[in-house]
Amino acid sequence: MRGINKAFPGVRALDNVSFDCRAGEVHVICGENGAGKSTLIKVLGGIYAPDAGTVLIDGNPVRFGHPLEAREAGVGIIHQELSLLPNRTVAENLFLGREPTRYGLLDRAAMRRGARALLARLASPIDPDLPCGRLSIHEMQTVEIARALGLAARILVLDEPTAALDAAESERLLALVRRLRADGVALVYISHRMAEVMAVADRVTVLKDGRNVGTAPRAALSVPDIVRMMVGREVSEMYPAPLADASGEEVLRIERAGNGALSGIDLTVRAGEIVAVAGLEDSGKSLLTRAIFGDAPFTSGRVLLGGKPVVIDSPRRAAASGIGFLSEDRKGEGLALRQSVRDNALLTLRAFAPSLADAFAGALSARRADAVLRSADVRTAAYGGPVELLSGGNQQKTIIARWLTRAPRLLLFAEPTRGIDVAAKAGVYRAMRDYVAGGRAILMASSDLPEVIGVADRIVVMRAGRIAGELPAGVTEEQVMALAVGAALEEEPRAPA
Amino acid sequence: MRRLSVPSVPLALILGSLLAFSATAVATHSNDQLTWAGLGGLIERMVALGIVALGQTFVILARSIDLSVAQVISVAAVMASFVMQGRVEMIGPAIALVLAISVVVGLANGLLVARARINPFIATLGVGLCLQGVLSAAFTDFAGSVPRGFQVLAYGSAGGVPLPILLLLLLTTLCWLVLEHTRFGAHLYAVGGNAEGARQAGIHTGRVLIAAHAVCSVLAGLAGLYLAARLRSGAPWIGRDGVYDLQSIAVAVIGGTLLSGGRGGVWGSFAGALLFATLDAMFTMLAVDPFFQQVLRGVVVIAAVAAYSSRSRLLVA
Repeated sequence: MRGINKAFPGVRALDNVSFDCRAGEVHVICGENGAGKSTLIKVLGGIYAPDAGTVLIDGNPVRFGHPLEAREAGVGIIHQELSLLPNRTVAENLFLGREPTRYGLLDRAAMRRGARALLARLASPIDPDLPCGRLSIHEMQTVEIARALGLAARILVLDEPTAALDAAESERLLALVRRLRADGVALVYISHRMAEVMAVADRVTVLKDGRNVGTAPRAALSVPDIVRMMVGREVSEMYPAPLADASGEEVLRIERAGNGALSGIDLTVRAGEIVAVAGLEDSGKSLLTRAIFGDAPFTSGRVLLGGKPVVIDSPRRAAASGIGFLSEDRKGEGLALRQSVRDNALLTLRAFAPSLADAFAGALSARRADAVLRSADVRTAAYGGPVELLSGGNQQKTIIARWLTRAPRLLLFAEPTRGIDVAAKAGVYRAMRDYVAGGRAILMASSDLPEVIGVADRIVVMRAGRIAGELPAGVTEEQVMALAVGAALEEEPRAPA
Repeated sequence: MRRLSVPSVPLALILGSLLAFSATAVATHSNDQLTWAGLGGLIERMVALGIVALGQTFVILARSIDLSVAQVISVAAVMASFVMQGRVEMIGPAIALVLAISVVVGLANGLLVARARINPFIATLGVGLCLQGVLSAAFTDFAGSVPRGFQVLAYGSAGGVPLPILLLLLLTTLCWLVLEHTRFGAHLYAVGGNAEGARQAGIHTGRVLIAAHAVCSVLAGLAGLYLAARLRSGAPWIGRDGVYDLQSIAVAVIGGTLLSGGRGGVWGSFAGALLFATLDAMFTMLAVDPFFQQVLRGVVVIAAVAAYSSRSRLLVA
């Protein structure tokens, strides 16, 4: 890609960016949100046409008018949002749009054979007859990659593929990436996770504000180098220091609680503390936050808030009792995407206002909303514009602002920085630390081990719906992982579908 | 490993319906109902609704809906008997005309939904209103009649099996074949399951949607032809009075087809139509008040959907 320019109303998304990727190479693109990564990928994938510049494949200039043309030219893109049909089988998904037929009827035997062959190329044991909805996220990604390979993709773009994966699954994905590299596929890999970048990249390109600020072999770069290029300054302290004394009074105590998916949960959270819940993808750490918030409530045991026993059986009761919740699915559950930033910030406040209150008057006024949004450091041209136009980091801060309007004693925070770039992460961590400094507490569920270790005052590790153990701050990733996977370092067999 | 071709939900519905029917017949000493003729009568009741529901299933699978089927039925029935006027030699032209009208209506629905991007609820409701208006302006009562030769469709039998039953089984099998074993079928599920994903996989989503609407209207037209044969003439209100639009949707949903598209099948709709016919037969045997019958039907629809949604919630948890 040579000298690519692309502008949107008011934004210069790409400014003379050149980028190349060779066969059998993993080329990582780093950059903050809004740096132009996705725009660059969309130009490559034929979703956007560049204003200026040329895309060359095998040295020949190409112009894509439609995503299909890019696909036919051998470009496969695995987006963050997976596009598989949950109710159709793996084989049906793999051959979607190009089903083999015999005498005018679908040739299901051929589909199954072809599916097995494609999956075998990725050394994946996935059963082609399973509906995709029963697969884990990692398995779905594998199916998407297999589909791209089935379309003879020679250039494969992976857009933050590990964002939704836990550590063990990420490791498997990286192994898959290496395997594809050995096969001679040109891989463009977008990631925020520095450990991953260092583990898999052959070359690294950093984008900032729509410009290519540098391309270099990985061996010539260190993590601080890359971070400095991304943010244009040193991020000396990614994680703010914890308070000297974080042993305030008890905010939350759970005694022998459980429900269908969780059992024997004993847990306390104190004022001034950030407690992290770590664990593999299906360990129950996100279900724990949902149980406390009353979304999928506990059915046994006791929950005490500030020493008083409470029954929380709905999110509304949780919010009324002083518990806030930030979902890991920011777009699906956290935000009303088409509504304004301001409306999103006021959502909970309005939910607890008298029914007949004027939605724009008094305590709910725009000025109050704007003040809260500013205090949460939400940056956008207009708070009246739709929240879907904001970057991931600013969207997350909008939801933090929403809870600031009620300032609950306990904030449940699932995957606080999923899909958020490095510089914005530091901002979120600072906001979290500020939040608990006022005698409040945060219980954070996270799949990002460096984040768990860097942020938490205490780490609770979950495994198979139970609490496997508790670790103090300052432990290593290996210690957390050992607890998360259990003594025998083996994956439990998947339950037959 | 292979999934059963007739999934368990339709099978359970069919067996349950037949069981309830027999039990009621025994309990009310309606022994005549337990003969082959009685059973045939039960199934014949579901033919018209069954055929419409097959078509409705196609559009619902594609995440659309068709509220114009009742009016298509009326138009088809009226045009058939009006063109035939009791003459055998006009059967062919009448059928051809009805099918042509149905295809045109289906294409209109499909184009409005897929190309003009009008919400299918509104688009098909509007088309249905237009059809009803034109029909009511042109005909005020039963128009013409169908010849005896055409009534065979509703009253004849082959090898001891009534023709309408054979017709419904044939159409259901044909639709199942199309859905399960053709590219069009696979693409229909894809469009309903994830339209953007289907588009990016290179499927012409618009064409699939338009074709689904054409199939739906043609099946509604066939149901109209069947009703003309059964009633010996067509009137402009038979589709509307049969509430075929909402009933066909209810029947498809009872059969396990998701309103949100991408999952379900025609055997489920077949079973749903059978369940409705069974309820009707049971109500008659038990002499249930007609208004209360409606209440019970409503309860059954809601209970069925509630059962599905609690089941899928269990799967998620």
